[in-house]
Amino acid sequence: MADRYSFSLTTFSPSGKLVQIEYALNAVNQGVTALGIKATNGIVLATEKKSSSPLADPSSLSKISLITPNIGMVYSGMGPDYRVLVDRARKVSHTNYKRIYNEYPPTRILVQDVAREVQEATQSGGVRPYGVSLLIAGWDEGILPEEEDTSKTSTDDGEQKKPSGKTGGILKGGPMLYQVDPSGSYFPWKATAIGKSATTAKTFLEKRYTEGLELEDAVHIALLTLKETIEGEMTGDTIEIGIVGPPADHLLGVEGVEGAKGPRFRKLTPQEIEDYLTNL
Amino acid sequence: MSSPFSINGGACVAMVGKDCVAIACDLRLGLQALTVSNNFPKVFQYGEHVFLGLTGLATDVATVSDLFRYKVNMYRLREERAIAPRTFANLVSSSLYERRFGPYFVSPVVAGLDPKTGEPFICGFDSIGCIDFAKDFIVSGTASDQLFGMCESLWEPNLPAEDLFETISQALLNAVDRDALSGWGAHVYIIEKDKVTKRLLKGRQD
Amino acid sequence: MEVLLGITGKDFTLIAASKAAMRGATVLKASDDKTRHLNKHTLMAFSGEAGDTVQFAEYIQANAQLYSMRNETDLSPSALANFVRGELASSLRSRKPYNVNLLLGGVDPITHKPSLYWLDYLASLASLPYAAHGYAQYYCLSILDKHHHPDITLHQGIKILNMCTDELKRRLPIDFKGMTVKAVTKDGIIDIEFDDDKVVKSA
Repeated sequence: MADRYSFSLTTFSPSGKLVQIEYALNAVNQGVTALGIKATNGIVLATEKKSSSPLADPSSLSKISLITPNIGMVYSGMGPDYRVLVDRARKVSHTNYKRIYNEYPPTRILVQDVAREVQEATQSGGVRPYGVSLLIAGWDEGILPEEEDTSKTSTDDGEQKKPSGKTGGILKGGPMLYQVDPSGSYFPWKATAIGKSATTAKTFLEKRYTEGLELEDAVHIALLTLKETIEGEMTGDTIEIGIVGPPADHLLGVEGVEGAKGPRFRKLTPQEIEDYLTNL
Repeated sequence: MSSPFSINGGACVAMVGKDCVAIACDLRLGLQALTVSNNFPKVFQYGEHVFLGLTGLATDVATVSDLFRYKVNMYRLREERAIAPRTFANLVSSSLYERRFGPYFVSPVVAGLDPKTGEPFICGFDSIGCIDFAKDFIVSGTASDQLFGMCESLWEPNLPAEDLFETISQALLNAVDRDALSGWGAHVYIIEKDKVTKRLLKGRQD
Repeated sequence: MEVLLGITGKDFTLIAASKAAMRGATVLKASDDKTRHLNKHTLMAFSGEAGDTVQFAEYIQANAQLYSMRNETDLSPSALANFVRGELASSLRSRKPYNVNLLLGGVDPITHKPSLYWLDYLASLASLPYAAHGYAQYYCLSILDKHHHPDITLHQGIKILNMCTDELKRRLPIDFKGMTVKAVTKDGIIDIEFDDDKVVKSA
């Protein structure tokens, strides 16, 4: 009976705006900055791990999450809302895909499923929009045959050579980076940032980003960008990094299984982050 | 005799060759011993290199082939790409298992080429979706016993497309001649990297 | 012992159905019409379990007419055949399936191509040049195999139909009270006068 009167809380203002969604975006824009950079051979997701008290245990806090073995996600905005979306994303990647096709969804499909969930919260009764923006990074296997590197002869004239012909997407395969907003809209990016200092970070990324970037350089740029916007000190415990890279077979848990491939998405350990920071 | 799998009759076979696969079916539709139609194909195409053969109860052959036309079209619209044979096989499996306690009375066969590697792919299923991955051949229908015998004796590894056509055609034609519920002509598909050939075999019309 | 027959020719589809309405060994009526007009150029004949037949046929008829009213255009015979198959197929897996066998004959309103669809209660669908349902299949299909040709005229079609009904009168143990005969042409559905009183002596 109660649902008979649960009207949508998100209603149009006379000027044609959905102010509830704008308020949700405001919540995002007060959130801790998160960024993502796409490289030719992978993607980096990075954010600051801010604790409100020196007594907090940073190792228990995690803002970058694995969704499928090849897809990871980070957020800016409200932590509890993000956790709900992580659960939903992990669930739909199985119910809508793996349990039907026996393979994990390509990045865009997962992004669309998450975006649908977010959109439904702007049109359903008795709910409020999600107060988060997401960055979703993943690697697609693709279905087109591997291309012969025809550009090899043309790169002999001193230009930088391309490490791979993969540019992402369902057909060719490769890295993909998406942003999902509280309205349910989503955008593919080469590099972007969300949260409090998104504008500053994006200006910085525009200057630093180059075509044909490699993953190692991307991690470097991610840390430099974070340094511009960060408030506290940068250590392995205050920075969180997730990468989509080559299959991490050491995370498989088994050895010698034919055809078994490790996850491409993994989070860097505090020690690995420290190593990058010392080289900064 | 009154098993739903053998009311209408029919036979289907798929084979692996060198960089190619073949799939073939008979054309009979019957009611017990009476032949109703001699133009009832049981092989359906779902993409450039993806084929599904369906034997069993004729109504379910039609229902299931239509269901996968819908599912594959939705897949193509959603993902903006054609479905790969292995992915399609898993879709067939999960769709059939969804009806675990009220199954479609069909024995599907999938044949195709992997779009990425060009590798041949064939597999068969029982009516509730258990997949039988095979390296050589898959048979199904009321002439499956006869087809097993024919395939075991005629098939050999790495047959080129022309020889594969001859092998699968002889296997099917001679198998259905020893089955009262199959025959009346055949469709044979030879699937190669950049060419799919469909041939209509007349066969014995009795 | 219900008889349904269908024959296509050059520019027509003939549909014939026995006139006897029976219950057990009793003939309740000798002027039953086991056909329904779905639209101007599509005709459906039905046999099967007593209540189911008319109920299902008129449900299909109503839906065909509703489509024509809503869209100011008729469904083609093939579209109707596939619609009927869908309804019958979902009925098959319901709590109480319809037990109806059908012949659906028509002439395409655009191409003027005649067509005939055979459907059984399992919702098996086949497009055929000639068809029958029930015991009539065993007697008539062989006659049709021998004498049918895709280019026959309506007159020739009726002649072959007479050969079929003669054989049925000769062989079937129960009188089926003659046939309702209708033909679908590009101009619509027409009733065909059929001599039901012709006496055929058994062999």
